[in-house]
Amino acid sequence: MLQAFLLGLVAFIGKCDLATGTNMIQRPIVLGPIVGLILGDFQTGIVVGATLELAFLGQYSVGAFIPPNVIVGGVLGTAFAITTGKGAEIAFTMAFPIALLAQAVDNVIFSIVRPFMGKLADKYAEKGNARAITIIHMGTGFITCTALFLITFFGFSLGSSQMQAIVNAIPKVITNGLSIACSLLPGVGFAMLARMIMNKEVVPFFFLGFVLSAYFKVPVVGIAIIGVITVFLRVNFNDNNNLVTEGGYDEDEDF
Amino acid sequence: MKMKTSNNENSVITKKDLKKMFWRSLPMEFSWHYERQMHMGFCTMISQGLRKIYKDDPDGLKAALKRHLEFFNITAHVSPFVGGITLAMEEMNTKQEDFDVSSINAVKAALMGPLSGIGDSLLLGTLRVLAVGIGTSLALKGSILGPILFLLIFNIPAFILRYVCAMKGYELGATYLEKIQKSGLMQKFMLAAAILGVMVIGGMTNELVSVTTSLAIGSGDSATKIQTVLDGIMPGMLGLGATGIYYKLLGKNINIMWIIIGTAVFGIFCAQFGILG
Repeated sequence: MLQAFLLGLVAFIGKCDLATGTNMIQRPIVLGPIVGLILGDFQTGIVVGATLELAFLGQYSVGAFIPPNVIVGGVLGTAFAITTGKGAEIAFTMAFPIALLAQAVDNVIFSIVRPFMGKLADKYAEKGNARAITIIHMGTGFITCTALFLITFFGFSLGSSQMQAIVNAIPKVITNGLSIACSLLPGVGFAMLARMIMNKEVVPFFFLGFVLSAYFKVPVVGIAIIGVITVFLRVNFNDNNNLVTEGGYDEDEDF
Repeated sequence: MKMKTSNNENSVITKKDLKKMFWRSLPMEFSWHYERQMHMGFCTMISQGLRKIYKDDPDGLKAALKRHLEFFNITAHVSPFVGGITLAMEEMNTKQEDFDVSSINAVKAALMGPLSGIGDSLLLGTLRVLAVGIGTSLALKGSILGPILFLLIFNIPAFILRYVCAMKGYELGATYLEKIQKSGLMQKFMLAAAILGVMVIGGMTNELVSVTTSLAIGSGDSATKIQTVLDGIMPGMLGLGATGIYYKLLGKNINIMWIIIGTAVFGIFCAQFGILG
């Protein structure tokens, strides 16, 4: 019980990685030794942590890609590797399904719970309350920390075979459906942003950016460079009287 | 070394404020979510500066807070750079009457894509992999030096970069904005920012709003995959269509929570009938 609590705490602190500057303390190579210390096998913890680190190397959140949850996967994977005494070999086969389970929880939080918190932050922005936004921001993060604490706590209490059964019991439709929703949702963010900065004059450039990416597979950095070139072609910076905005243009011609 | 924050004598934001912004940028990713991603993190990072800039203007502060709760996403370690430029622009907004505030978010949008591209490949692609390589090679032999070196190799450069970004962004923004203002190019600058911003958003829409359909006409080997047909017409058109629908829905003042819940239900529906995914 104490061990389960401590392991949950490790997962909680691991998630605080993102509160302290995205500093990598959530990775298995860091959490593994701590798990080892709690379960009384420091050496195995270090080795299993490093093994899982290599296995999860590609599982890193970049852009809007949310990978299987390496925190819960790493902590429970290392823990079960030590308690079953089977070492690094079993770690990954246990860690990966657990990481997928925790990823499903992540996806619910990231697609439903947190946008709701964002909406709450909007309300306080309306009142000009900057402190409240900071509190909501941090609170939102700690909700996830707590969720990871609970999954790890109950996961370890249930034991390895029970965890496997739970992972298999989630209907595929739900997980697949949520992952579809998750790939659609960034569209809401872009649409909101576009609502703020879009005007008639620049609409074509939105589609230019899209087409460059869709047809020509230009990465975003490349699009930005083409964007800068476009700006220089479109906007005449040298002639101060010749504004390119619709209104000023015609009037100036009379002179 | 004495740092010059701005050429302007009456600049509101001081070096101390920039240091505060550095600390406040640390939880940038803490409340990340799919819809607006790091928006609360960004607002939290610069809100201390905003409060100072709009000290005597509560309505200005409200508008600014709302503005910076819009979509934001970046490699977290370089975020203070954008924060600094943003503060410089917000300050300019209080000094100049006809400043178009929408250009602030346009500049943010134009910066986040390219900076993430560089930041991700530099920090996550290169530095992290280097740290993992050295860290695991020692840790696999059971040495505690492995995890320690892993953390040091990644974090020392990452934190230095973050600090430099926090200090330089504002300086750069303030210096250039002042020059632009004096030469009367502000209106052109705003158009330029908008063009660049929407182009990057267009590209990111294709990259990040990625849905494909698994529907097919006919069966077996002769089946025609609809996605192949769609790709032949315009790759990424489903993502573009979805973004377009969201754009329309947002224009109708529909509560965003309904849009999100609707998307989740729609996703499960599509998974059930194999329409998307």
